Amino acid sequence: MWNDLLFAFESVATLANVLAMGAGILAGVVIGAIPGMTGTMAVTLALPFTFYLPPVTSILLLVALYKGSTYGASISAILIKTPGTASAACTVLDGWPLAQKGKAGKALNMALISSCIGDFLSNISLIFLAAPLALLALRVGPPEYFMLMAFALTMVASISGGSLLLGVVSACFGLLLATVGEDMYGSFRFAMTEDMKSGLSVAPVLIGLFALPELLRLIMFRDENHGQAMKLGDNRLTLAEFRGSLKSIIRGSFIGVVLGAIPGIGPSAAAFFSYGEARRSSPNSENFGKGELEGIAASESANNGCCGATMIPLLALGVPGDVITGVMLGAFMIQGLTPGPLLFQNNLNEVYMLFIGMMFSSVLLFGAGKLTVRFFSHISSIPQVLLTPVVLMLCIYGIYSISSSMFDVTVLLVMGVVGFIMLLLNIPPAPFLIAFILGPMFEDNLRRALAISRGDPSVFFQSAISWIFAGLIVFFVGLTIRREWQKFRENRAAKNA
Amino acid sequence: MLNKAMLRGLLIALFFGTVLFALIPVHVPRPSFIPGFAPPPDMWPRTVSILGLALGLLAMAFAALGGGNETSDEPKRGPASAVEWRNRLIRLALALAAFAGFVVLVPLLGFLASSMLLALACFLLAGASGRWVAVLALAVLLPLGLQLFFGNVTHTPFPSGSWGIFPGLN
Amino acid sequence: MKSLMKTVLAAAVVALAAGTAHADYPEKAVTIVAPYGAGGASDLAARALAETARDYLGEQPVVVVNKPGNGGMNGARFVSESTPDGYTLLLARVGMALYPAVQESSPVGWDDYTFLGSLEATPMILAVAENSPYKTAEELVEGLKANPGALTYGASGATAIDGFTVQALLADNELDPLTAATLVPYKGGGALATALLGGHVDFLAIAAGSLMPHIESGKMRALMVYAPSRMDALPDVPTAAELGFEKAGQITGWSALYGPKDLPENVVTRWQETLAKVAEDEKWLELAKRRGSISTVGKEDMAAYAKSQYELFNGLAREFGYIK
Repeated sequence: MWNDLLFAFESVATLANVLAMGAGILAGVVIGAIPGMTGTMAVTLALPFTFYLPPVTSILLLVALYKGSTYGASISAILIKTPGTASAACTVLDGWPLAQKGKAGKALNMALISSCIGDFLSNISLIFLAAPLALLALRVGPPEYFMLMAFALTMVASISGGSLLLGVVSACFGLLLATVGEDMYGSFRFAMTEDMKSGLSVAPVLIGLFALPELLRLIMFRDENHGQAMKLGDNRLTLAEFRGSLKSIIRGSFIGVVLGAIPGIGPSAAAFFSYGEARRSSPNSENFGKGELEGIAASESANNGCCGATMIPLLALGVPGDVITGVMLGAFMIQGLTPGPLLFQNNLNEVYMLFIGMMFSSVLLFGAGKLTVRFFSHISSIPQVLLTPVVLMLCIYGIYSISSSMFDVTVLLVMGVVGFIMLLLNIPPAPFLIAFILGPMFEDNLRRALAISRGDPSVFFQSAISWIFAGLIVFFVGLTIRREWQKFRENRAAKNA
Repeated sequence: MLNKAMLRGLLIALFFGTVLFALIPVHVPRPSFIPGFAPPPDMWPRTVSILGLALGLLAMAFAALGGGNETSDEPKRGPASAVEWRNRLIRLALALAAFAGFVVLVPLLGFLASSMLLALACFLLAGASGRWVAVLALAVLLPLGLQLFFGNVTHTPFPSGSWGIFPGLN
Repeated sequence: MKSLMKTVLAAAVVALAAGTAHADYPEKAVTIVAPYGAGGASDLAARALAETARDYLGEQPVVVVNKPGNGGMNGARFVSESTPDGYTLLLARVGMALYPAVQESSPVGWDDYTFLGSLEATPMILAVAENSPYKTAEELVEGLKANPGALTYGASGATAIDGFTVQALLADNELDPLTAATLVPYKGGGALATALLGGHVDFLAIAAGSLMPHIESGKMRALMVYAPSRMDALPDVPTAAELGFEKAGQITGWSALYGPKDLPENVVTRWQETLAKVAEDEKWLELAKRRGSISTVGKEDMAAYAKSQYELFNGLAREFGYIK
């Protein structure tokens, strides 16, 4: 294997490959940072180029775009409270408060470092753990998937902020909105207009919910807020801060790798998982959501930790786990390569070249990140009155261009108003989002499992994976109830005193 | 007593109640091709709505009993006079009208012109009228630049408007 | 700044000119809308056509735009409602005939287009996992008869094309298409292939593109092909028609090029000439082979074929009780 790797190293280290990756990463970071432009879009845009590039170079270009955009999403999450893609939604929770305290540079550097470490570990796992992780991925059937999603939804408790009740209400709202459109059997729900038949897309809902309420808040309450620019300063990440978050970075990368390897879960769920877990176990858990660097570290290491791992089912099994790897599968086919076990037999050299190339890309990601952090930090010096309408324009154009749909733009604007109402009522938006993304997976796998078992609920307790998650769910729900009970008693005691 | 917490609980209960009793029976059909033992399409929306309705009622109960266990992260707003509140609501209404106007205008005036108008409206409502040079330049050049970028790079077909009074650039 | 102004002016001139005569079609980029997601069958076919056709359209670029949603109807509606100037075309799939045939109300009818020509046939394969006891399609049918409802199959939905493949096979064998096998819905070819690989469903009949890698690596076994003729890659696997399955024998996947209704005569002629050249083009044939599809450019009378497909699915939908 080592000889093969060395040979692959020599063949992949060409100027063309490095240029393709460098350009891909840089373009990915910029595209990811623009609200409304997603990694899927970046990869789709590059697809025509793969007709003219050699196989390994074209796949490396697509991988680079994917990684770049996953990191880039954190930039807009931190600076303008708009996650560039759904996987950076948790980065908003702490990144935006930090930026308001004048620590945008610090937050950006933390996001970059954790992204690069997550990415690097993900690549290592792709190379050495592809086979066992692919086997694990196949073992996850509808019942196990359902248990995993049920566990993920208990994370709502970790991101609810002040009130668990309002967090769960927000999650219910997200679950309900996710059911709009065609259900898994092909029957329509809440399809009051022709456009609603295809349901609400994640991008306009996400961006409407996070970015637009800021604009409406500024417009309504401008007599209080004088439209000042954010404070500047404190851009360096100290070694102590990095050390304090190291545990969360490693854990986040691990969560990213495992969830990334299971088809269909994706980086958003991994980021939520990692964030919830970091918040639960961190000594600074009270500071989460108010500007805690460790929160950024947890979220960003997990979403980039997914990037390399999503290649595992694609390369080892030949099945794409998400939209982006679906596009990559198309690119493989254009090149006449078929991913799957046969790829390792017939095109082992290309596979190793791909592996080595991806290792390079972690380094390039760091370089591209450093280059752009400097540039993007200046955004925080633009006054809010100018910045927020500009963000609205970027969102409108970005969302429209995803599928040339005026309906999506309407959803964006309506969700902006909904988000503003939620802001006024102190209902947190993050649980809405996690429920909106995970809800369909939860429901579909529940119905799938019951279809397979012909209505017998014992199907959910037939494998070790299911039992493990069932145990975790009971543990977490118990913990949450205890915490809420203590809070209730403290409140009562404070009132009586 | 109708304080904010009470109103919030009421709104939540109303929303989920409407969905449960008015929307689901009409807009979530049960087609014949779904086998009887598999949960039907309305199972999940119903479950979620019932939970939401219960939580809304619970929130109202907490509000009525006084307090509950909420801790707010929001900074306390300073007291505002009636005039200030009136102006706030007017600005909010104008912003919503600008959003709605954009959606209505795009098929008529085209994407580019409507975006310019929306941008201008937002800048003015947000209070950037003092910097009118920057505002005008941004409101015109930003949509133009974005339209050119997306039109040429992703080949997005932007609506040019049925009135045809403003070139759509593609 | 100067160059930007130039671009703006040039673009404005083009935008104004587009509204006038179209003697020399095409004068600008032609957009082909792929009504499903990037990387899927419609997208790859559209991109292959775009790469080939530009050589025969006076070097005007052909760009592909993805507009997925609602079973392909979002993209179809977008194209059928756009100006019939030949600059917005649709990479139609079997769904454009299937959807109006099986839904009570469809936003676009099967014939709300100008049919420019057929492009390719994309076979579908009936497959089981390698450890399945069923070695042939007949054995699978026997298994279904022995244990009604016990076997599960994966599909994108009851009224999706990959659901009809199985239901037609059941109907051909006097089995109830709705209950003889249990439908387990999954979204997309990748998820369906994973479900069969992981043993979560017993069999499925979906597009060849998603299954070929697994059949070649021996993880799945092909039992039957839904195509007019046997596949080059699977010479030993019989077609549904060969096995005497009447309804299943008529089902296959296909792509075609559609435009909005009432396209001008010169546009239609230009595309007919272009497609005739594409039919012989090395690049097109090579790309079709890599996707696992059979080029049918110029071989079908598209309007008649679309009609027959619509009638086939409409008849099945009535028979299965999906519509009244």
